[in-house]
Amino acid sequence: MKSAARGGFWPVVEGVGALVAGPLTRLREELDFLAIVLISAGLVTRGQWRFLFRHTLQQIYFTAVQRAYIFTVVGLIIGALVALPLIVFGIHDPQLLGRIMHIMMYHQLDPILASLFVAGMSGAAITAELGELKANQAIEHLVAMGLNPYSFFVLPRLIGVVLSLLVLALWLNIGVTVGAGGMLSVYQNIPPTVFFRVCLSGLSHGSLALTGGMVVMQGIHIVLVQTQRAFRVNAYVDIPRALPSAFAQSFIGCLIITLLVSLLRYG
Amino acid sequence: MAETLVRLRGLELNLHPPPRPFDFRAMAGETWMLVGAVGSGRRELIRTIAGLSVPRTGYIELFGQVVERMNPRARARLRGRIGVVLEHAGLVPAWSVFENLALLVRYHRLVPDGEVEGYVTAFVESCRLPPAILARQANELSPLENSWIGLLRALIIKPRLLLVSAYLPRETLVAGYGVWTFFEEMVVPMRMTIMVDAGPQALPMDPKTDLLVMDQGTLLAAGRAVDLAGHPDALVRRFARFDHA
Repeated sequence: MKSAARGGFWPVVEGVGALVAGPLTRLREELDFLAIVLISAGLVTRGQWRFLFRHTLQQIYFTAVQRAYIFTVVGLIIGALVALPLIVFGIHDPQLLGRIMHIMMYHQLDPILASLFVAGMSGAAITAELGELKANQAIEHLVAMGLNPYSFFVLPRLIGVVLSLLVLALWLNIGVTVGAGGMLSVYQNIPPTVFFRVCLSGLSHGSLALTGGMVVMQGIHIVLVQTQRAFRVNAYVDIPRALPSAFAQSFIGCLIITLLVSLLRYG
Repeated sequence: MAETLVRLRGLELNLHPPPRPFDFRAMAGETWMLVGAVGSGRRELIRTIAGLSVPRTGYIELFGQVVERMNPRARARLRGRIGVVLEHAGLVPAWSVFENLALLVRYHRLVPDGEVEGYVTAFVESCRLPPAILARQANELSPLENSWIGLLRALIIKPRLLLVSAYLPRETLVAGYGVWTFFEEMVVPMRMTIMVDAGPQALPMDPKTDLLVMDQGTLLAAGRAVDLAGHPDALVRRFARFDHA
């Protein structure tokens, strides 16, 4: 009986250990991968930069320009949804409303929503595209013929997604502000100009820098997770398996980044 | 004296069980056909020389330089002189044939940017392929067309070493123009070293053909087919027959 209890105890300890060590191992792998990508950026020759610049612009087009419409609609609807409870609670003070917008939306929910969309749309597209190239040996062919896979496939996507996420988070903030301002002007008779001025006045360089840094970290995390998963694909059947797990991992990572930055900001 | 393009010293392929190490040398302009049974290590040898597999032990010298001692930038430059064709064609499906062919030309800056289009078109025409194929998406190509564009992508960079580990299609996209003729007319004049594991009867074989006979991950014998026909090892004699490669 004692031995059975002992047999049950150690697997539990092992399981808990794996649960703690798993995320740390993934973090280390991600940092290793980032280091490889940054080192490969140093190996890019002058002629290849123009080539990579074009690929970065393509990534920005697919991630930011093509999604701008969706972000506008989502921003307006979420703004309206955020305003509704404030209307129900009867909050009239524009200063308080502006503060709520800052703490709840600009600092936390909007960057999370932007990263959720980017991870789900562009991130999944990256995993599917690179996974297919890995499965059909395109990456192996190009690597064997002298192409650096990290600077060619990962770096333009990394820069493109980070810049796009910054723009999209800002765009979402504007959409949310307009949506909330519209609702508040209709139901609370708060003039939109007053509400926008209050929202704008709360912005400080420090807060912008912190939010910008957080969004940059989220963008880097999304691309690293998605490309890492794609590079692990061996056959076409691996792609549908890689997609949901890459999405889940990248989104959970974004939540953790937001939590850590919020603790730093308010803690 | 011809330059040594590929030199393998004490090479032990990364296979299970660990095979015997072997040496091999290929000079400029030589064509070596890899022969051996399924699982003999032909594919692994091509992948190891291409840098896609790491050997257990031993050295690979390409163009007179030990690859593992080179810095990454020099290694990338060196790899830019090697054409590789693997089992799958490995084209980027969402790109056009032109973009697939132009990718490495642009990446290695083989010609100025303004001349890439003319260079690719001229190359495709010289291979007797209709230029209209350049505008097609890679995912619209038939398996035969895919294989040919994969081969052309390896050749368009004018490599000094061509590594083939694929079943080359016997027919081409132009009626009456077979893969044998293609190799004689297009590939041989490029004077590159070729190591090909192309499957049975993919390429012509005669008594003068250089064969690399492999078994269980190691090199059994290397030499002309006519010389290997009298080899003491029955397995080598079996694969040294002129009617198949």
